[in-house]
Amino acid sequence: MNILFVMKHRGNAGSTHAVANYMRLAPHFGHEIAIFGTPIWYIPELRFSMDIEDFDRVVYLFETDLYELLPMHQAIMLGHFERDKRLIVDTDGMYHELVELGGYDFNHESEADRRKWIAYMDALGDTVVHTLMGRSRFPKAQALPFFGYDPELEIDPVAAPGKTWDILHLGHNWWRWQEVEQELLPAFHAIRERVGRIGFIGLWWDQPPEEGPDAGPCDAFLADPYTFKRLRIETPPAVNYNDVIKTMSTARINILTQRPLLRHLKHLTLKYFEVFNADTIPLLMLDDDHAVEVYGPAAKELTLPGRAPEKIIDVLENEDRYREIVADVRAHIRIAHSYEERARELFATLENLGAPQT
Amino acid sequence: MKLVLAGAVDPWTRSVATVHRFAKWGKALGHEVAVYGPANPEMPQLPTTLDTSDADLVLFLVQVPQDIPDMPGLALMMDRLPRNRRVVVDLWGRFNETVRVDHDFNHLEKFDGHPDWEWKQAMTALGGSIVQPTLTPRRADVGSFLFHGFDPDAVVGSYASAKEAAEAWLDPKRSVHRPYGVVYVGSNWQRWTQVRAFLEGYRKAADSIGQVCLAGWDWSERPGWAVEMGIAGVDTDIELLADLRVEVRMGVRFDRVVPLLGQGRFAPVIHRPVFKELGLVTNRTFETFEADTVPVLMLPRDFVKTIYGAAALRLVPGNDIAAHLEGLLADPVGTWEAVLDTRAHLARHHSIKKRFDDLERLAGVIGRVKAAS
Repeated sequence: MNILFVMKHRGNAGSTHAVANYMRLAPHFGHEIAIFGTPIWYIPELRFSMDIEDFDRVVYLFETDLYELLPMHQAIMLGHFERDKRLIVDTDGMYHELVELGGYDFNHESEADRRKWIAYMDALGDTVVHTLMGRSRFPKAQALPFFGYDPELEIDPVAAPGKTWDILHLGHNWWRWQEVEQELLPAFHAIRERVGRIGFIGLWWDQPPEEGPDAGPCDAFLADPYTFKRLRIETPPAVNYNDVIKTMSTARINILTQRPLLRHLKHLTLKYFEVFNADTIPLLMLDDDHAVEVYGPAAKELTLPGRAPEKIIDVLENEDRYREIVADVRAHIRIAHSYEERARELFATLENLGAPQT
Repeated sequence: MKLVLAGAVDPWTRSVATVHRFAKWGKALGHEVAVYGPANPEMPQLPTTLDTSDADLVLFLVQVPQDIPDMPGLALMMDRLPRNRRVVVDLWGRFNETVRVDHDFNHLEKFDGHPDWEWKQAMTALGGSIVQPTLTPRRADVGSFLFHGFDPDAVVGSYASAKEAAEAWLDPKRSVHRPYGVVYVGSNWQRWTQVRAFLEGYRKAADSIGQVCLAGWDWSERPGWAVEMGIAGVDTDIELLADLRVEVRMGVRFDRVVPLLGQGRFAPVIHRPVFKELGLVTNRTFETFEADTVPVLMLPRDFVKTIYGAAALRLVPGNDIAAHLEGLLADPVGTWEAVLDTRAHLARHHSIKKRFDDLERLAGVIGRVKAAS
């Protein structure tokens, strides 16, 4: 199959990295992958194409924005790809019931907004997948983990960059603040004198988006740069997808947070796996049972909720023991979440589009 | 027949007047005509629909990229309606090899970002057949469907005779209602070269015939976007306009065009260079004859004869615009005979009713609709 991804072009987004992995693996399965559009100069390894007729499957990948093609391009797409050649990947739980969590995070601002998304996706294709394990809570959607683990990207500790950070958090400030404010900042406050440099790398930790309200709900970008400064938390700029793992490897600990909505829906993200590629000790802001489901039993030792200060200090004081735990997790996810397996799942889904669901 | 017209209908521009004529005449002829989209409070008389599922025919009226409907409607139409019930009306000749005449193109990637192959692929995807409003499509896979047409019921000042029309035309008592010698309504997109030639030719007769009114977008200055993008063909000459005392107005809403044209003794009909090259008709081709004025056909004579009939040749100027208009004024009855004969020709051959007949034949829907009823 020649597979065309239609998605927002963002060099610093997890989905881009996942598609890059599929692009790399596809030839081993006899397939080719490209992203619809023209090349991006700073990520020359990604293949782009505007030649729609060269492809026989299309994957529309939606994040939180309803990424709309120009109508003329959409017409060409719809004319070329029959409905049973179109797959919709919903990474952010938009194809769902209205979900609102504690007055903070939500998938849609209103029922009208939700209906618009559902109508759009229903019109676009018959198969919508959510990026999760098991089954989707939304009956019309299927589950496809989509994001996976690529052992080839593991950083060898011998070749790893020097550790310039004690703690890093790598990810944009998009619906992260509640978790950071309620769990992480009190923990950092309690142990700050015992910990070296702390960094939050990504967009919008030190200032809101330049686009203003057009970027999305204000609550999604809540931040407190003053408290960050008081706790000596640094906020370097975002890095491109191909620098994520290397950057994570500059820290002894990396903390994985997940947007509350996706944590609630148990959606996987690429960061789930990248953090285990890095030469670091990942600490997970995930519920124990979900961590175990994804990473295996060893991951129970890596979860943070409810015990963040003690856990962070314990890791810094017992790094070797935690490196063994991380090795156990890696052993689990190399099998359970390999990109070879993910690629097999994706290609099987694409091959079987239009077939009756069992 | 349930006919859905899909395109960006804007009360200030492009084919909005023809769309209204289709809605009006469709209803009178027993058809159900609606424009795809939500109701538009600016055009309350225009029926709209978001449900195309039972349409006998969808006409995609394509002029600019925005005419292609957005999602999800686009997918609903393309996935659920068979191709033979989807027809693309390529109003600007996009479905051709790239044609350039002077500064005018049928594809201007610099302006809208779409090269010729995208237009062709998109139109091929949209419809099972593609038609253009010309009698002479260049491609074998394109049909002829003029789309735009003449509405005899909309003619202002239905005169019983040329003599009556001529008297009304020159009646000094009515000059308060006809303050201009010439009214041209149309935007400055690839028309300046012809408008300039008309104005310069008109100079000699301006004092005796009257002031020129130029109504449309971008006549008073070359727009900033054209300067930034380096797009020619949207030029103007403020000094020339001032020298000739030309009154420049902004664009005119579609339902005020015919009354405004009637405020002048003459109304030029000017087609873009590419349209002349491809023989494309426009709304104004026909609408100008609905106004209480004498059209001046700035068009090739063979095109005029074919579309308007032989009588209209009298309304085609030679090289001397001023002499032509003075000649028409000197023989008002003969002039109005030409206008009335042309109106009769247009009513016979280019009415909207005729367009519905063409459409049914073209789409082959007559049999299917009858069989279903």
